[in-house]
Amino acid sequence: MLAKINSYALNGLDGYGVTVEVDIHMGLPSIEVVGLPDTAIKESRERVRSAIKNSGYDFSPRKITVNLAPAHTKKEGPIFDLAIALGILMSTEQAGVDERNTPLKSVGEYVFLGELSLSGAVTRINGVMPMLIAAREQGVKKIVIPKANVNEAKYIRGIDVYAVDTLSSAVALLNGEECDPIEKCDVVLDCAYGGGEDLKYVKGQFAAKRALEIAAAGGHNIIMIGSPGGGKTMLAKCLPGILPDLTEAEALETTKIHSVAGILDENNGIVSTRPFRSPHHTASRIALTGGGSSAKPGEISYAHNGVLFLDELPEYPRSVLEILRQPLEDGVVSVSRISRSVEYPANFMLVASMNPCPCGYYGSNAHQCTCSPAQIQKYMSRISGPLLDRIDLHISVDEVHYDDLTKETETESSADVRKRVNAARAVQTARYAGTGVHSNAKMTGEMIKKYCVLDSAAERILQAAFDKLGMSARAYTRILKVARTIADLDGKADITAAHIAEAVMYRSLDKAVK
Amino acid sequence: MVLSDLYLWLSYSHIPTRKINRLLDTMSPSQLWDSFDDDEIKYSLDDKTFALLKRTRHVEYIERAKFYLNENNISYVTRADPIYPSALMQREVDPPPVLYYKGDINVLRQPCLAVVGTRQASQYGKYTTERIVRELSGAFTIVSGMATGIDGYAHRAALQEGGNTVAVLGSGLFNASPASNLKLFDDICKDGLVLSEYTPDTHATEYTFPARNRIISGLSRGVLVVEASLKSGSLITANCALDQGRDVFAVPGDIDKQRSRGTNRLIKSGAVAVTSADDILEYYSVKSKKSQPKQISLNFSEQRVMEALGMGEKSFDGLVELCGMPVSEINTALSALLIYGLIHEKSNNLYALS
Repeated sequence: MLAKINSYALNGLDGYGVTVEVDIHMGLPSIEVVGLPDTAIKESRERVRSAIKNSGYDFSPRKITVNLAPAHTKKEGPIFDLAIALGILMSTEQAGVDERNTPLKSVGEYVFLGELSLSGAVTRINGVMPMLIAAREQGVKKIVIPKANVNEAKYIRGIDVYAVDTLSSAVALLNGEECDPIEKCDVVLDCAYGGGEDLKYVKGQFAAKRALEIAAAGGHNIIMIGSPGGGKTMLAKCLPGILPDLTEAEALETTKIHSVAGILDENNGIVSTRPFRSPHHTASRIALTGGGSSAKPGEISYAHNGVLFLDELPEYPRSVLEILRQPLEDGVVSVSRISRSVEYPANFMLVASMNPCPCGYYGSNAHQCTCSPAQIQKYMSRISGPLLDRIDLHISVDEVHYDDLTKETETESSADVRKRVNAARAVQTARYAGTGVHSNAKMTGEMIKKYCVLDSAAERILQAAFDKLGMSARAYTRILKVARTIADLDGKADITAAHIAEAVMYRSLDKAVK
Repeated sequence: MVLSDLYLWLSYSHIPTRKINRLLDTMSPSQLWDSFDDDEIKYSLDDKTFALLKRTRHVEYIERAKFYLNENNISYVTRADPIYPSALMQREVDPPPVLYYKGDINVLRQPCLAVVGTRQASQYGKYTTERIVRELSGAFTIVSGMATGIDGYAHRAALQEGGNTVAVLGSGLFNASPASNLKLFDDICKDGLVLSEYTPDTHATEYTFPARNRIISGLSRGVLVVEASLKSGSLITANCALDQGRDVFAVPGDIDKQRSRGTNRLIKSGAVAVTSADDILEYYSVKSKKSQPKQISLNFSEQRVMEALGMGEKSFDGLVELCGMPVSEINTALSALLIYGLIHEKSNNLYALS
């Protein structure tokens, strides 16, 4: 008899229904899976066979054909194991049928997802959260998932989720046994960040700390330039501790990606702090943007709503850096492969650090630089103008002058800074409500015109800055955006001359025209 | 043949200038042209020189060269022309037969001052060059070599002040280098003068750069060296200046910085130490056109920062500790003071009064 079991698959972050059809007919004993399965699915034959046997059901040798409809899209991963096993049990009339061996009506109401182990246990799979969201949107009412995925499923309301841990319990559901769906709960974000460094342990570097605070508050991209030993990496590691709290919408967006990628923390089930990703500079283009034959998300999407930290920026191959340009502008990256084209969100804050020259000491007060001008130029030119264009804050981080630190100054802790950052971000969230923009850094041209109005004093100082400091025109909107954030931190509705003056200080690369 | 065409012939023959001048000591260009077929001439020249001169000794060749220069908007001035800079007509300068140029040759009528220095300038060098050149540029035409570093800063500062500036290249006008200064090249062509003793298509070699230094100093009344290490090409310019009887000025620097060793040595061996533009202006008894700076009213935090910097240069961290004000306020004050020009960034994160 022909059995049909509903399952679900993902294309990027969007899901679509897959019907697993199982038919048994005469012929040499075999299991054939058709419908563009990948290797993991083909291997599921072996898992399913053992799981059925070890769960106490009969698996007599017969010719079994499994079709994953629609047959023209590529399917991947072991998520169909459960559905295939149930289909086989149903077509052999061991489950999901009544006394007269006709399929139960209730079978069609469920969607089954899960990987099987040889013992018959249902194990954890990737991508549950985006699948639940997509399934809910497409009108699916009941969905069965592995028990290990409950933590990420409990936040999705409007769909009944049943958790199973063995093949037998899934069979019980299929047979129409009454069972309670899992309890849902509100998203509770435990925002306290445990890891990373604390700003209070960074000696000196007041300018850099202030710049980080502004960057965190407005979501601005920032580059730190300075000699070795200035503390660039340590400052960057402080950043997670001062990033603003995730909103619920942002947390869900990021969790969807982490769920697909399989990097979600099993115990937490939701990404509750802003991700901080620091790929090494040997990372390939695909590792960064995502791709591969199955168009998986990459580091920049993992960093969605969080920070992408690129330490020693010029060490990254130029081709890797250039691909960041479009995502930095649009907040999404579209990964196109022959089989599919997928768009992943990639709304990250870029934090980069670099030395000013190959030897590291150009412009340093303590060491003599030994590089030739050509070497320095070559080093700097590894980072293209268009990329630098997209970075709002440039800050030079030099060695700390120890004579300046004779006094024990009270240094703020990350928690204090974070309070201010959160307040400033709240102002922005209220201002941009309903526009899809979350922070000042992502302001559109129209918003800049509306929210960055300068009074005449501010206008004058900006004009003077351009004349005196020889700034380029591209700095203009960057300064306005940063000034907006400084005003938000200050709790002011209007941008004043003081805000502009401070924003001008963070354009060191524009000033140093060589 | 006109005399200027004969000089063009000598220039286009690509014989080293020194050789040409030695030849011209014995006979005039027209004598050389007319008597070229005589055996006597042939024996008095070495083979290479003879071959080079012979190759280019055609009226059509010279006419073609003139057409080519005209076509490409390149002006030239030969030693036969009255506008040829008289300052160069000196044995020690080794005056080239022809100068090729773009821009306004009349800027050379104003007294000239060369400002040269290292390609690897520090913030201090940059700032000092800009400050001194700005104040000098009304009184002097600023001559330099359009290299990166001090040369470039000097040209740019002069252009910004609306003053005259001359760039002397070590290559032909079509091969100006470095690429990073091509924008500057265009700017100087427009508002100043770019000149070269080499025919436009000549490429720079390791000998052409030192050779053009004699023209930089030759055009000028004096040479100001801002920053130079002991091996710097600027010291060649200073030596040329001494040979030619020009004045040498040098800006003193930190005694343990590589980049200041050259200038400090110049001062030790008798160069005039310069700490402001007035030192040069007074030396030549020229009046400065400097206008008195406007009185700017400072707010409280700006005054605090000024007072703190009054005690000596300070890093940002130092200012934070000394002033005891919030970081944002110090940033704002610094930015405003930088814009007013009351302070400058001496090197990364190190601020000092102007």
